[in-house]
Amino acid sequence: MNSPTRNGGQGDLVIDISDLTKDYRNGEETIRVLKSVNLRVRRGEMVAIMGPSGSGKSTLLFVLGLFLPPTSGTYLVSGRDVLSLTRTEQAIFRREMMGFVFQSCDLLENSTVYENLELPLVYAGVKRRERPDRIRDALSRVNLEHRLHQPSNRLSGGERQRVSIARALVNEPEFILADEPTGQLDRENSLRVLDYFNKITAGSNVAMVVVTHDATTAEHCNRTCVLSDGVLNG
Amino acid sequence: MANKHTRLAAYLAHRSRRGTTWLRMRDIMRVSIREVLRKRRRYIGVIAAIALGTAGFITIVTMGRDLKTNFNNDLDMLGGATIINPYFEQEGMERLEWFRDRTLASLARIPGVVDVTGILTKPRAITTFQDRIFGFNLVGVDAAYWQVFSFNAAAGRLFDAADVDQGARVCVVGTLLARTIFGGDQQALGQILSIDDNLYQVVGVLGGVRAGDRGQFIFLPITTARARVVDISQPYSVYMRCATWDDVAPVAAAVKTVVEANQTARGLRVNVAWEPLKQVQRIFWWVTLFIYSSIVATLILGGLGIWNIMMAAVVSRTREIGLKKAMGALDNDIFFQFLFESLCVTMTASLLGIGLGRVGVEYMSHMLGARPPEGLFMVCLAAGLAFAVVIGVGAGMYPSIRASRMQVVEAMRYE
Ligand SMILES: Nc1ncnc2c1ncn2[C@@H]1O[C@H](COP(=O)(O)OP(=O)(O)OP(=O)(O)O)[C@@H](O)[C@H]1O
Ligand SMILES: [Mg+2]
Repeated sequence: MNSPTRNGGQGDLVIDISDLTKDYRNGEETIRVLKSVNLRVRRGEMVAIMGPSGSGKSTLLFVLGLFLPPTSGTYLVSGRDVLSLTRTEQAIFRREMMGFVFQSCDLLENSTVYENLELPLVYAGVKRRERPDRIRDALSRVNLEHRLHQPSNRLSGGERQRVSIARALVNEPEFILADEPTGQLDRENSLRVLDYFNKITAGSNVAMVVVTHDATTAEHCNRTCVLSDGVLNG
Repeated sequence: MANKHTRLAAYLAHRSRRGTTWLRMRDIMRVSIREVLRKRRRYIGVIAAIALGTAGFITIVTMGRDLKTNFNNDLDMLGGATIINPYFEQEGMERLEWFRDRTLASLARIPGVVDVTGILTKPRAITTFQDRIFGFNLVGVDAAYWQVFSFNAAAGRLFDAADVDQGARVCVVGTLLARTIFGGDQQALGQILSIDDNLYQVVGVLGGVRAGDRGQFIFLPITTARARVVDISQPYSVYMRCATWDDVAPVAAAVKTVVEANQTARGLRVNVAWEPLKQVQRIFWWVTLFIYSSIVATLILGGLGIWNIMMAAVVSRTREIGLKKAMGALDNDIFFQFLFESLCVTMTASLLGIGLGRVGVEYMSHMLGARPPEGLFMVCLAAGLAFAVVIGVGAGMYPSIRASRMQVVEAMRYE
């Protein structure tokens, strides 16, 4: 293990954020959305981030996904500083290290389930003959193997969200970021999706950060952090 | 799990691993083609425009020369614009020169010359028919003469090369003579005329746009005229027909040298109808300009169409772009995806256009009775493909750059 670690040699720390701030500039005016964010997430852990609307939850998730640079602070993934990466390195980081699940159950239009899951593998340069196994493997973790060649627009909302979870998993990421993953699902489907989340984190040591409004979702997580007035500690 | 981290490190260490880059490119190309196939409906308009433009271009350029030749043959209103008339004039006390057979053969070999015909004349000949006497112009010509002036038969037939070879005793008469002697075109056919105590059968009556000028003429095969007509002239005058009006000037310029190479050129004059020639060239220039500008307009419309569709696609697919970037697509991956899509559309259009163009070329050459120039077609084919690449890259470049530069956050917030 040659990567430097913090917190007394706890090598299972995946996300490590300290004193992070984020300003939005609107012309002359700057709004500090994140004032002081400290967050540590370990392997196999599922952390809920709650907070009122407009408190900056999505902003934090974008920072975590390296889609937005923070104004100040440090962000280490498995002990490595990822804020200093170039634009290309960031893209490589995303495809190698993380998976993203969106609220709107985003799948590519006019594509089959297989094609949706194949794309992250294409970007990661995975050989063509290795892809079917990995895609089937990822789908089996959300019990959707039988939908392999179904067009994505013929899936139910719950199935769509499960496919996007499988897509986030297909590259075997270190951690998964989910922005209101149950926001558009009914109660039954929400519970199912959360169930899969629990299984995934417990079974494979993937870390998961879930932004949510919903108390039920938070209950399924190992712990809940509340973001209010731009401050988060967890 | 630690090896996961080394995997990232390895990627970061040498980012441009050629092998995987190429593999990825192929996959992205495949994705692009799939994308275009699935959204083919929105591309039908531009594909049609570019295909038609390319087909028109290929057909016109490949068959251009054959078209001009045909145009030239068909349109006698050209007033003999492509006919060159070299002739000899008396100079001082010297004997008047005439064209020798070998000179005519050489003239026929000048590039761009279609037909050459020398003529013998006897201006004030007389003939008797049923004891009446008629004056006329006697002309001895070969079968090429009809082609040079685009004559046809108003009735019966014009004598052919076989008649000329055999020195057949046949004649073709002008319309006016047919009417005054026999009372009409049809009545003239098969009648026997006596000229210089020789009998000739009338096989046809002269027709064609310029036949009116020769209403008082009787035409004999040149061999027959030479052998049987008393006081027939030598071929002082020759008519040459050029394939197209573009050939007229160079052919006219070459005549003197060619004649000098075979015989003395004393008193040689070359008569060219420069005015009608210029007029025809002007008309055809406008026609060409019109055709080419409509082709160019079609192609530009096609290019603009692609540009437009790609720009619209970048906006309407903002979310898809953000999604792909969130999945780890590099800027380059997005860039090439869009560029390939654009190229895929233009290449499809171009291949279609080349196919259509080939059909057009085949059809035209069938109509004109000529073999299509394959070399020229290949050049056009290559030009068509090159053009597709240029339009595809040209119109797709900026939208692709826009797509690749898009910020994920903006894309993800876009609804
Ligand atoms: N590009 C921007 N420029 C300026 N202000 C912004 C920008 N993006 C977001 N904001 C502001 O930052 C604040 C936090 O936004 P964010 O989307 O992170 O909130 P959120 O916690 O995800 O809210 P919700 O629960 O409604 O999704 C909001 O007040 C928003 O208006
Ligand atoms: Mg939000």
